[in-house]
Amino acid sequence: MTEFSAAVYQNEYLAGGSTDVHAIVTVECRGAGQAGQTSAGDAGEIVIVDTSASMGWPGVRAAQAAAAAALDQVIDGTWFSLIAGTHQARLVFPFDGGPMGMAQMSPQTRSLARQAIGYLAPDGGTAMGTWLELAARVVQSVPSVTQAHAILLTDGKNQHETPAELDQRMARAAGHIQVDCRGVGSSWEVGELRRIAQTLMGSVDLIPRPDQMAAEFATLMRQAMSRGVASADLRVWVPQGAQVLFVRQVAPSVEDLSARRREVNALTGAYPTGSWGDESRDYHVAVRLPASRAVGQEQLAARVQLAVGDQVVTQGLVKALWSDDSSLTARINPEVAHYTGQTELAEAIQDGLAARAAGDDRTATAKLGRAAQLAAETGNEEVTSKLRKVVDIEEPATGKVRLRKNVDKLDEMALDTTSTKTSRVRK
Amino acid sequence: MDDAVSAVDGVVGRECGTCGTVAGPADRFCEHCGADLPTDGRATSSGVAVPADPAPPEGPDTATAPMLAPARRQPPRPPCRECGGAVDSDGYCTQCGAKAPSERDHFAVAPAPGVAAVSDRGLRHHRNEDAAAVLADGAGRAALVVCDGVSTSVSSDVASLAAARAAADVLGTGSVGLAEGSARIAALGVRVTQAAAAAAAAVAAATPDDDAESPPSCTFVAAAVQDPVVVVGVVGDSRAYWLPDVGEPQLLTIDDSVAGQQIAAGRPRAEAEAGPQAHAITRWLGVDSPDQTPRLTPLEVDGPGWLLLCSDGLWNYCSEPAALGEVAARALGGAGGDPLTAASALVDWANDQGGHDNITVVLARLGGATGATGTTGMASVAGTASAEGTDQR
Repeated sequence: MTEFSAAVYQNEYLAGGSTDVHAIVTVECRGAGQAGQTSAGDAGEIVIVDTSASMGWPGVRAAQAAAAAALDQVIDGTWFSLIAGTHQARLVFPFDGGPMGMAQMSPQTRSLARQAIGYLAPDGGTAMGTWLELAARVVQSVPSVTQAHAILLTDGKNQHETPAELDQRMARAAGHIQVDCRGVGSSWEVGELRRIAQTLMGSVDLIPRPDQMAAEFATLMRQAMSRGVASADLRVWVPQGAQVLFVRQVAPSVEDLSARRREVNALTGAYPTGSWGDESRDYHVAVRLPASRAVGQEQLAARVQLAVGDQVVTQGLVKALWSDDSSLTARINPEVAHYTGQTELAEAIQDGLAARAAGDDRTATAKLGRAAQLAAETGNEEVTSKLRKVVDIEEPATGKVRLRKNVDKLDEMALDTTSTKTSRVRK
Repeated sequence: MDDAVSAVDGVVGRECGTCGTVAGPADRFCEHCGADLPTDGRATSSGVAVPADPAPPEGPDTATAPMLAPARRQPPRPPCRECGGAVDSDGYCTQCGAKAPSERDHFAVAPAPGVAAVSDRGLRHHRNEDAAAVLADGAGRAALVVCDGVSTSVSSDVASLAAARAAADVLGTGSVGLAEGSARIAALGVRVTQAAAAAAAAVAAATPDDDAESPPSCTFVAAAVQDPVVVVGVVGDSRAYWLPDVGEPQLLTIDDSVAGQQIAAGRPRAEAEAGPQAHAITRWLGVDSPDQTPRLTPLEVDGPGWLLLCSDGLWNYCSEPAALGEVAARALGGAGGDPLTAASALVDWANDQGGHDNITVVLARLGGATGATGTTGMASVAGTASAEGTDQR
């Protein structure tokens, strides 16, 4: 039995005249079960591996091992397929040319798929939009698949289609499939893969060396198979006349969901959150109420709900209570403060690295210094340790840093991909 | 939330519609949260079953029957008071998000035509420590009680509600029969004195054993009405006014407060009420009270008008009888003479003045000009202030 719960962290006290309400809403899922087993419909898994010429034979062999490791984690009965990506996309398995672009996992199909993996060879360029477009098409060829997920592996930049073409093809895939993106080595672009992952509700990360791919793929696929809730929407109701300033996922990683809003009714917006396993996610919701009320009055600022299909499975209430007691109104909720800091931390790192790449050392020093300060303040040790490889942190408290001269490209990319991963509040 | 009242006929236990605690068959209030429990009109507070219908004929032989039976509660959530939108089961409006007041924070009852009570938390206090209990039969008999909890004590809201209910129970029981004139006044006066004693006992019963520092306490103003005779009794600074259709409004009570004593001694009201400690009350119901005997004021009305009982949440903004009379006349005029609408308007008016305290207003039409004509039975609807509010998350 899948159960959801929600908890709200906020300071509901507002000073007279104030109208902005911030809250962290933690949504937790328990008993999700396995993908394709608990909810209506089947699960579909696609492995997309880059087989462009730049991968070379060692890269392709590592990719073959990774693809096989991923398929080993797919539960029997799950629909799956394998796509090889170059400047075009090719369906490697199933290869029977039938109307279905996916096969159901069984000992036989697993063995056939392994054979097909063996025929992969390095050749051609890179056009990731075509890979995603094909993935979405094969998913749609099996109507019973209601939960589709892919792992996309690349080693390079998207050179054989324009950014606009990539955008168009991503848009066609959005809503059909969730994609976790992984870049191997240091020749790919974090920003490019992050954009794909954000659009297709997946994660982005760095795999430093080809021999680490298999373990990463197995982990990703195990995670995917443990997401028994095919999809859920975060719903945010606000009072008439109020404005949603933003809706952001803040843990386990920072994602601005605001642009995903779909209207449920005039007062309620739905923000897709993809599939869920046994996990907890934190959301930062900010609302501007239409007017301040008299001191002593209370009102609801938002109902934050999780909906599976049309069913609201849990709800948290964000409140506003006006007070003239400044000891109450001046208090900053620790969760809100923590995640506001984490969001700023992600921006500071990304802006700092971009400035560094552009040769603007002044801005880079300021931004990465601020990042060092925020990481120290919020206890984000992972970011701090990765920052140390890019800058020398002289005074964490004040954010005084010096850019390091010789920085390994991989260290810089690792810092970039880590920037959106947040630490939890220390409770 | 809407239909939590489980079927009862006074025999089996039932669940509290507010918190779900199982209550005894004769319980009228939830032991756990204090919410009103539904009754079928047969179970009385003492658990004695009496026929609800047909009502016994009026007369001396009905002395043991409850004169005014408590009403069945109707739990559906009223629409939002601010925008009229539907109120969600989470307690907030689905449109504007306004917090729907809990039943303890705001309630309005109209037990019979011509009688109504409205009580409200006001704007500045975090809970409503006022309580009201009104019973009426629509034929000129009514029991009206207002108690205002003294907020220096933690559980004064519980005490005031218990006091008001206990007093109304006493006032609503029995009959003065055929007594008229001074005999009727005397009989009603005894009733009011007994009601105050019952209220004081209820406050004492609501006092925790270990609460010697600031035991719960409340004011008391009650009216035993058998038109055209009224006896008002008071302990503390809640008030009763007589507002005749023709003639000058009258204040029927003297406040048991520093200001009240000064006014009684001849000091101008405005000056006395502005003085230091003017609002400190000198008598109250509570285990630490020096004197809990109500001061009685009889009144035999000679024409139609309105009897108004209120807590200081209203009169603080219009203390002079003329001022209160003017505000009440405006409210009644705007309400077309409907007491529930008028009492709500008076509460709204007090909130417009700042709503610094809890506000309770009870209105009863006297002088034979009610809509009740020729009613011989006593079957009645009645309402009492109810219910601990839903939790303040």
